Amino acid sequence: MASNPPTKVGPTALGKIVLILFILACVAGAAYYFRDLLAPKGAGGPKKVDLDAFAQQVGKVEAPDTKGITTVNEYTYVPADKLPPVKGVSSYTWSAADKVVQFPINVWIGWLPILAANHGGAPNTESIFFKEYGFKVNLKLIDDPVVARDAFAAGQSHVLWGTLDMMVLFAPGLMADSRTAPRIFQQIDWSNGGDGIVVRGSIHSVKDLKGKTIVYAQNSPSQYFINNLLIAAGIQPGEVTHKYTATAFEAAAAFVADKRIDACVSWAPDIYNIPEKVTGTRILTTTSEANKLIADVWAARADFAKDHPEVIKGLVAGIFKAMDQLSDPAFKERAFQWMGELYGMSVDDVRAMQNDAHSTNFAENKSFFLNANDPTNFERTWKNITFVYRELGLVGTPARFDEVMDFSVVKQLEAEGAFKHQQDTYRTTFAPTSYTKLSAEAPIVTQTIRINFYPNSANVYEPQHDDVGAPLPNTLYDPSVEATLEKVARLAGQYERAVIAVVGHTDSSMKGKGTRYQDVKQLSLDRANAVKQALVKKYKFDPNKFTVEGKAWDVPADPDDPMNQALNRRVEIAVYPPEA
Amino acid sequence: MGPQPTSLGSGTRGPGPGKAEAAAAEVDRASVIRAFRPLGWLRIREAIPSWMSWVLGVIPILVLLLAWWAVTAGPDAESRMISPTILPSPTEVARSLPQLWFERALTRNLVVSFSRVLTGFAVAVAIAFPLGVLMGAFTKVKAAFNPLSVFAAYLPIPTLVPLTLSLFGTGESQKVVFLALAFVIYLLPLFVAAVDSVDDVYLKTAYTLGASRTQTVGKVLLAISWPDIFRAMRMGFGVGWSYILLAEMVDIGKGLGGIIMVSQRRGPREHIYLVLVFIVLVAFLTDRLWVWLGRRLFPYREVRR
Repeated sequence: MASNPPTKVGPTALGKIVLILFILACVAGAAYYFRDLLAPKGAGGPKKVDLDAFAQQVGKVEAPDTKGITTVNEYTYVPADKLPPVKGVSSYTWSAADKVVQFPINVWIGWLPILAANHGGAPNTESIFFKEYGFKVNLKLIDDPVVARDAFAAGQSHVLWGTLDMMVLFAPGLMADSRTAPRIFQQIDWSNGGDGIVVRGSIHSVKDLKGKTIVYAQNSPSQYFINNLLIAAGIQPGEVTHKYTATAFEAAAAFVADKRIDACVSWAPDIYNIPEKVTGTRILTTTSEANKLIADVWAARADFAKDHPEVIKGLVAGIFKAMDQLSDPAFKERAFQWMGELYGMSVDDVRAMQNDAHSTNFAENKSFFLNANDPTNFERTWKNITFVYRELGLVGTPARFDEVMDFSVVKQLEAEGAFKHQQDTYRTTFAPTSYTKLSAEAPIVTQTIRINFYPNSANVYEPQHDDVGAPLPNTLYDPSVEATLEKVARLAGQYERAVIAVVGHTDSSMKGKGTRYQDVKQLSLDRANAVKQALVKKYKFDPNKFTVEGKAWDVPADPDDPMNQALNRRVEIAVYPPEA
Repeated sequence: MGPQPTSLGSGTRGPGPGKAEAAAAEVDRASVIRAFRPLGWLRIREAIPSWMSWVLGVIPILVLLLAWWAVTAGPDAESRMISPTILPSPTEVARSLPQLWFERALTRNLVVSFSRVLTGFAVAVAIAFPLGVLMGAFTKVKAAFNPLSVFAAYLPIPTLVPLTLSLFGTGESQKVVFLALAFVIYLLPLFVAAVDSVDDVYLKTAYTLGASRTQTVGKVLLAISWPDIFRAMRMGFGVGWSYILLAEMVDIGKGLGGIIMVSQRRGPREHIYLVLVFIVLVAFLTDRLWVWLGRRLFPYREVRR
């Protein structure tokens, strides 16, 4: 520098550094100032679920139904009136000469009837479908739901497999094109032990999951299973740390590998293997209790269903026929073999899966699609999934149930008198039990509901009263009682095999004011009984499914705030595992 | 087609005024003839101006965009060549940008994924570099590790996800380890080859000058293979992005992989394509950075161009 001072023009080295630092500071400052524009935080993160939003999805426009419904109540509309009409030219691959329906399935025992009907995975002339209805079916294994969806959207397959909760997520996207809108014609099965929640030892009930870490496959039945339970238990999803994996298998592996994870939602056989192999873990609940929670269905492309109604009918009927044939043990063995061949599994492994699902026959499908009183019918299941997923912020504008549900084939078969012999066998009969016996164990999940009873009344449908105390017709003292009962009915319906305790609690406002404890206890019992009777009447539950108990003012809702009387006036619905 | 340099192969020796003009005319005629021959405008290793390289580079991208627009154009979903349930149109994709940017925090997820790739890369280089140099220099080390390296190169990497899961849990370390694994498998053979390819002449010269073993490795083998090692790192850095989806399959929360996976399941599908665009953008910018760094570090390598 010193050797050649005259040529040195511009800032010194220090000056340059200062200048660069100044520019950098300006950039950093600008970046910080515009941080919400450059790197917004996003709308993610735990949402606050509005647990009362449930009431909004139960028809408010209906007149109060004080009588209850005593007969099966079927939909009267024609599906085609509500389904989105198909526009444009059909865009799926189809050869009129070969007539091969492309029907992807995943690894799941629920597909046994269709594999049996088709005499294996490959299209062939021995199948029921070909012999009776003149078309062939190609059952191919596409285990990844995204790939199955894409093949369906591209017209490479005509059918999409899935659980109803997957359909809720896929439907809005697929309905962007009226030709790929999914049409659900048939329920294949209820998951019956195939899905479950495994926890570490300290967790006995869903409420113990508060503040814990759970892992499950995102956008899968697992997500619906656990979040439905959390919401039923009144736990905000944000009060639990959720860890997501891509598949249920990885969720199980993560739970085993990482001791900091307190629970996982996964599938058989992992949910049964983990408690055997990993000490300190146990099953919290499975779909063998929540046996009407996860429904497996198949959907056809709308354009395909429109062009080939006879094929759709053949698929539905062929599957029902195979359900009959599977009662023959020798035929069932052959079906296991076909399934093993398609899945690349040993017949023993296939046989081990046979209790994971319950195949739903014609009568059970009829109830699922047509019976408006069924607490776990298509409409309620769809709405419940939509409620859970919308509250979690997973679906924006969900599809309505009647935009995807097509019961036309079931109705047609009913009109023809087909499959009359198939009876609804998926109903649990209960023996009477006592609350004392039941409450010795921890309930799987407890749901707290509030029904505003008229003072000293135990009638859930109590009308409003005028100034002199005369009842006003066609009014309800608690206008949201239907929604409240609906909430309980859905949980009780989903946990079809479980026993349910209805426990009435009163507030303690009259404590020490001359009121007899005996009377208060009786009132709380009467109110619990009223809830039970209302449920049994409206939703046709087995009365022995419910056990009632009145706890008077003994158990405040919040032990830290025992005088919160609004919280104390409540009914608790506790779901207990079926007695072994 | 700029003016041709007359000195190339025209054989003009004496620069006489008349002769040179005639020669220039001859060359011009020759170049015109050449240009009209089939593919005559394609010349091996010709120098082109930078504006031309930009224009030529943009054309295929425009054609691709045009094709994309064409197959997704139509008044309604049903009249498009490709249904929007498979491929949304460019405008639909562009319109979904604000949602991806603001609601789904694109930049934050981008930073998360980028830092995962970067960390995985750093870990991988820390392992592959010393091992690669040793393998390149010492035949016995190479003999010991080569079979493993070859075996690893044929591994279907996705199958390693459950393994890393059970060894490293579901957190950040699993993702970094998985990416590092993919990087090592890619980088190691390239590093070995870089050191391997140093000509024996240099070694002999070094020995003649009495270089020690350490000096030979450090000042001859390594010094000469540096640019190749650097080039391998530049090529390898892109590999991480192809594995980011697999790495972020577990404990899906933050990161671009998570955004893609969730969009596949519940939409909007536009975001899948947007994220791909952003990955390409980031890959392009980082590659430019590598090139710039390479020019700074090894200017002598630039002479050839």
